[in-house]
Amino acid sequence: MARSDGTEVTVRNLRVYISGRPILKGINLRATPGSILAIMGPSGSGKSTLIRVINRLIDLNPSATVEGEVYIGGLNVLSADPYDVRRLTAMVFQEPNPFPHLSIFDNVAIGPKLHGLAKSRADLEEIVRWALEKSQLWEEVKDRLADYPHQLSGGQRQRLSLARALALKPKVLLLDEPTANIDPVSTRKIEESLREIARDLMTTVIIVTHTPQQAARIADYIAVLYNGELVEYGPAREVILYPKNEFTKKILEGVI
Amino acid sequence: MYRLRRLKSQLFTALSIAVAILVFATIAHILLSVAVNGVGVIASAGIDFFVKPPPPPGAGLEGGIGPALAGTIILVALSAVLGVPLAVLTAVFLAEFPHSRFSRLVKLFTNSLLEIPTVLVGMLVYVTLVTSTGSYSILAGAVALSIVLLPYTSTYVERALEMVPATYKEAGYSIGLKKAQVVWYVTSRIARRGIAAGILIGLAKAAGETAPLLFTLGGALYSYPTSPASLLEPGNAIPLLIFTLTLAPYENWHSVAWGAALILTLMVLGLIIAVRLVVREVKV
Repeated sequence: MARSDGTEVTVRNLRVYISGRPILKGINLRATPGSILAIMGPSGSGKSTLIRVINRLIDLNPSATVEGEVYIGGLNVLSADPYDVRRLTAMVFQEPNPFPHLSIFDNVAIGPKLHGLAKSRADLEEIVRWALEKSQLWEEVKDRLADYPHQLSGGQRQRLSLARALALKPKVLLLDEPTANIDPVSTRKIEESLREIARDLMTTVIIVTHTPQQAARIADYIAVLYNGELVEYGPAREVILYPKNEFTKKILEGVI
Repeated sequence: MYRLRRLKSQLFTALSIAVAILVFATIAHILLSVAVNGVGVIASAGIDFFVKPPPPPGAGLEGGIGPALAGTIILVALSAVLGVPLAVLTAVFLAEFPHSRFSRLVKLFTNSLLEIPTVLVGMLVYVTLVTSTGSYSILAGAVALSIVLLPYTSTYVERALEMVPATYKEAGYSIGLKKAQVVWYVTSRIARRGIAAGILIGLAKAAGETAPLLFTLGGALYSYPTSPASLLEPGNAIPLLIFTLTLAPYENWHSVAWGAALILTLMVLGLIIAVRLVVREVKV
């Protein structure tokens, strides 16, 4: 597996067509280790498609065609085995989706277990605890690890999904509007977790978000997509305070 | 206007309830008839009903359905071994590769198998297996039943797998699981109740079929399967026994047929209840 030490995500001239219709029209951007990149834009602008190219989940859509270049470090994402790509990445989805048939413990443990990351039961327990702590869920579930996800609140379920992703210690963490449908307390906890993960683990975090406020709170860089095109990209402060593009202004004002 | 709408609505509700009652009454009538006619026969024969062969024609009720009961259990088990893995794998293939040309062909094949009269399956096995081995056999019967259960189980299991929300599959892939791992550790576990139901429906179908056994099993009335070699010898099954006994002009055989029908009904019901109790539903 070709892999370099760096885990920077580089996207060059990325074009995606779904059933022949262009969804992304020549995107160029970079996300660097230890930082959070927020991708913003109105519905249908191609945000989710972009992160699904980075972990090759786009392959699940048989009518999608992808052109261009995507690299994670030295790994050529589009020509690599998708399973190798997904060993470097992990994803949190818009709807909390912990596996309903697995206990809280097993939801977090399944990845490390199947990828052989734990040599013993003690190792596995350590990883599960670490991931649940990082996602700020440990204190709430430490006495009920055998419970099932349906016994948790929506926000807790989403933090469990985050823990499942973190348990693999991914180099790149992708999040597709992870706080769109959950309570403010869980939103705050997830945002704190993301900052900590980026800072302490040097993970490259890419988050799709609908809300400018969230981008302002956590992002180091912001990319704005509109109608499949990258209309603005730069340090978060600059994009928020001095947006150059008309669409960016409208998105920041909440008009679109 | 409102009155007319309300009247229509009430009429429709009444019609729906009437149809539901009609269906329920039909099923209740069948079950009650089987129970009323069967219980007496089983009670008078006692434990012999389950172990002894049928009484001689025209004699009393001192006999039972022993060979056919043993035959049904062996046939269902054997057809499960032969048919269920194939049916489940077919379902997984159809659910995971729904757009491939080959899966469309497989789907056409399973759908056709669902439609064709099961007696033709019996004839097919007769022409291939019975004539080549030179004998009716339990094995030939099991092969025929496994072909019968295949499209039922694969269709139900495929539907159960398709009903698993895509987001869980995506979650599986997103943590680096391979396709087989996603099927094994995620979708099949979430769909376990539907899969169990699909297997059960196939087995219930196999347990209750008569036509595929007409040219394959041999309908041995008095001999028991005693060793693995018996699989290559003629056997019997409860539905085939009921068919044989009912066609004969003997009152005592008709009575035994009612008892056999009750046992068959209870076996199928027992399977359904067991699965409902054993396989927990996954709460999403």
